[in-house]
Amino acid sequence: VDPHAEPERGGDEQVGGPGHEHRRRQGGLQDVLKTNLGPKGTIKMLVGGAGDIKLTKDGNTLLKEMQIQNPTAIMIARTAVAQDDTSGDGTTSTVLFIGELMKMSERCIEEGTHPRFLVDGFEVAKKATLEFLETFKTPVVIGDQPDREILKMVARTTLRTKLYEGLADQLTDIVVNAVLCIRQSDQPIDLFMVEIMHMRHKFDVDTRLIEGLVLDHGSRHPDMKRRAENCYILTANVSLEYEKSEINAGFFYSNAEQREKMVTAERRQVDERVQKIIELKNKVCAGTDKNFVVINQKGIDPPSLDLLARAGIIALRRAKRRNMERLVLACGGEAINSVEGMTEDCLGWAGLVYEHVLGEEKYTFVENVKNPHSCTILIKGPNDHTIAQIKDAVRDGLRSVKNTVEDEAVVLGAGAFEMAARKHLIDNVKKTVKGRAQLGVGAFADALLVIPKTLAENSGLDTQDVIVSLENEHDRGLVVGLNHNTGEPVDPEMEGIYDNYSVKRQIVNSGPIIASQLLLVDEVIRAGRNMRKPT
Amino acid sequence: MVGYGIQSMLKDGHKHLSGLDEAVLKNIGAGRELSAITRTSLGPNGMNKMVINHLDKLFITNDAATIVNELEVQHPAAKLLVLAARAQQEEIGDGANLTISFAGELLEKAEELIRMGLHPSEIIIGYTKAINKTLEILDDLVEKGSENMDVRNREEVVLRMKSAVASKQFGQEDVLCPLVADACIQVCPQNPGNFNVDNVRVAKLVGGGLHNSSVVRGMVLKNDAVGSIKKVEKVKVAVFAGGVDTSATETKGTVLIHSAEQLENYAKTEEAKVEELIKSVADSGAKVIVSGAAVGDMALHFCERYKLMVLKVSSKFELRRFCRTTGAIALLKLSRPNVDELGYADYVSVEEIGGARVTVVKNEEGGNSVATVVLRGSTDSILDDLERAVDDGVNTYKSMCRDSRIIPGAAATEIELAKRLKEFSLKETGLDQYAIAKFGESFEMVPRTLSENAGLGAMEIISSLYAEHAAGNVKVGIDLEKGACEDASIMKIWDLYVTKSFALKYSADAVCTVLRVDQIIMAKPAGGPRPPQQGDI
Repeated sequence: VDPHAEPERGGDEQVGGPGHEHRRRQGGLQDVLKTNLGPKGTIKMLVGGAGDIKLTKDGNTLLKEMQIQNPTAIMIARTAVAQDDTSGDGTTSTVLFIGELMKMSERCIEEGTHPRFLVDGFEVAKKATLEFLETFKTPVVIGDQPDREILKMVARTTLRTKLYEGLADQLTDIVVNAVLCIRQSDQPIDLFMVEIMHMRHKFDVDTRLIEGLVLDHGSRHPDMKRRAENCYILTANVSLEYEKSEINAGFFYSNAEQREKMVTAERRQVDERVQKIIELKNKVCAGTDKNFVVINQKGIDPPSLDLLARAGIIALRRAKRRNMERLVLACGGEAINSVEGMTEDCLGWAGLVYEHVLGEEKYTFVENVKNPHSCTILIKGPNDHTIAQIKDAVRDGLRSVKNTVEDEAVVLGAGAFEMAARKHLIDNVKKTVKGRAQLGVGAFADALLVIPKTLAENSGLDTQDVIVSLENEHDRGLVVGLNHNTGEPVDPEMEGIYDNYSVKRQIVNSGPIIASQLLLVDEVIRAGRNMRKPT
Repeated sequence: MVGYGIQSMLKDGHKHLSGLDEAVLKNIGAGRELSAITRTSLGPNGMNKMVINHLDKLFITNDAATIVNELEVQHPAAKLLVLAARAQQEEIGDGANLTISFAGELLEKAEELIRMGLHPSEIIIGYTKAINKTLEILDDLVEKGSENMDVRNREEVVLRMKSAVASKQFGQEDVLCPLVADACIQVCPQNPGNFNVDNVRVAKLVGGGLHNSSVVRGMVLKNDAVGSIKKVEKVKVAVFAGGVDTSATETKGTVLIHSAEQLENYAKTEEAKVEELIKSVADSGAKVIVSGAAVGDMALHFCERYKLMVLKVSSKFELRRFCRTTGAIALLKLSRPNVDELGYADYVSVEEIGGARVTVVKNEEGGNSVATVVLRGSTDSILDDLERAVDDGVNTYKSMCRDSRIIPGAAATEIELAKRLKEFSLKETGLDQYAIAKFGESFEMVPRTLSENAGLGAMEIISSLYAEHAAGNVKVGIDLEKGACEDASIMKIWDLYVTKSFALKYSADAVCTVLRVDQIIMAKPAGGPRPPQQGDI
């Protein structure tokens, strides 16, 4: 055995018993994230090593930025990250739920219950809750014309927990429209087709959805047009610059005239390609007021740019690869890889192309496209941390809409599901379980309450009061959630508070698994520190 | 054993602050201290600051944007205010000081409210309501008839620009404003909304005094002409971006020579080639060649022979501006330019100003081109400060091109806002009325600071201002010279509506963000050499 290995035994054996250490650690993580939950949660300020500021209310972002070192906390944080990857939301809830499960178990363990029984109980309760979720969910019919209202409600519920209300409501429309825009009936939704572009400009409420594309670079030639209407868009992946040959070649000449010839010959190939594009432009645009825009993934060197500019073509070089895909979806046409045999069918179309300059940065807007299947969410904000905050929120909002479309179901929010599930567990499930596993089911049921409890706490309400009144309503057979403004029970259906089905499912699924794993660990043995490194 | 709580989970060196006392009040304190620094620089009588940045560069200025930028603020909450000021500076180009000072005042009032027992979230609600109301009132205070202005009318431009420039260079605004206004009007395009700040250049030349400053319609290049021809008038200009020299292939070339004769011949053909090119340029009618890169010796020789003036402009952006000034199109390679690719300049000449040789390019007719303000001053730092004042003036012009509405200056608007917000707060029923009242009170900071900086009795002035405003004279502000109240429309002190509304909005935003934060998690500062310690914030 490594002599430096130090067993980390869980605290005071008599009081805590095995696993106590974890629960303590977990408690710390829970404390940090607790205040994040819900629309009334507070903001955390993270300051990076270089003094950069990040403001967030999003559990996932927080966990990512916090640089956690403790093994137990890392385990929980990973679960939360997994939660984020699969469903895009609910990270805070996951951490809270795990924390609460541990807290409830601790109480039982202190009374002498062996963790094994609790774990068995969790297993039963988890299964029952998932079954209950199936009956509890509200199905949503997603046809060719999805119900915008319900999508908006889901998006709003998610966004309001990340941003302040006014902005959240504005983003709600944006994300719902964005997802519906890129949705193609027989294909899975690819959220990458929504470009998220940010500009440090004006205020956060100037964030908007652009049906089209925004590129974060401009044309590199001073004489190109800054603004053009009725444009053909040529999406290309053709190198329009002179490339050195692979082999080590050299020219030999003996007078200046010969050299001049070499110079032109060298460029001829590139020039021919440019000429082809210009010919196409002349063919489709001649005699009309239409314009021509080339967006190239590869480079365009200054002489080529010059030729294009003279022909009245706007050319953008070095576009991002993913933007090439999006361009084709937004404007139509196809991305060409060779200038041979181009026809009008290869071209896309946009009503308006213009350049916007912000200080040093240039942006090119491709707008007013026909029938787009790709769009851009243009985030604006006065400073970087606002932009980052909105960006995270938009990502989560998009996911929540996507999830709804894919799940074809939503779950009532505002703590209503948790209350109902608890009642179901206590009333129906607990009695069917034999032996001490009942305690586990009970702990699980009580742990579910952490969501409404924290919601109430963050809104400055009396936790006990709220829970009791909510329980009363549920006992009377009404499904209610918490109105965080008044502290009164409220019907989430009336208020339009809906959560994602897959988010809830994931929480219920992963929470008990991690909690069980942690409960069954009784000793942490850490390898000794590396001797070569001075400690 | 590691400690309890979050500290145990993080890496060493992390700091975690949470709760009202530790986070919120500390943040407020930091913001307040930052604003205490800038506050004394507010207004025409504001004091200058001497800032020495980490590169030991000396700044003497009362421009808040410069001060806070060079301060390298570390504290995260104070940084939020700095960011707000920076945003204001980028968006409007003026009013950064108002942003920080007002935000500091709001934070101070927020602290009082917290001590009274209000929860930060209630303050945020109140402040948000108040800022919305403020913008409404501000709309109402706009001077009638000011939304339509002729941006080419010098009088009107100076009127709007004066307060912005005066707050940076008090006493010199009467010299500077007409200069800036002239320069701006000259380059103002057909559609004033497209006014580009970049088209007004500043050339700083040490020596002389401010009164020697002038405006040049065109550009002032800070270098000499390359050849011997130093002055030409009414000429065509050819611009070559790629340099004036023999052309070369991209691939490496080797000259193949078999005999001495060939070597001689080669040099001759080379010469002939260059001569042919230069001759073709000269034939096209151009008298000035501008090169974006090196000018070869041989090419220069032929230029001299064909009596061409040669200028070298090594910056790409400067070259583009040059193209805009003269209307030329930059050619990539040395070749015969077409007639429409040639530019035109009325006057290109090398002049000696204060010991420095500069090339003045004038173009009286090119309406939409470039204008340069030539600033003269005795030291570099004075020139820098003058430049900042000119920049502010130009930015103000840009803003007024987009939105020309004006509101009374000299703290008249602030007092009116304070008064009306107080009335508004009385109508609110919730706890937020306290926050709204405090928001209104914060506006008193402006007249107070203005009069304090001018050495006047602040309380007296504020109370008499209130009295005047209560009597319905909404345009009454402080006359700093007389130390009395005076109508802003008589004093002709006007502020731009956009500047004020953006500044107030940015500061309210920043303050609400600071108040919303209840936990701070700070990573260990990254390694690397520490900048020299300065007054910790």
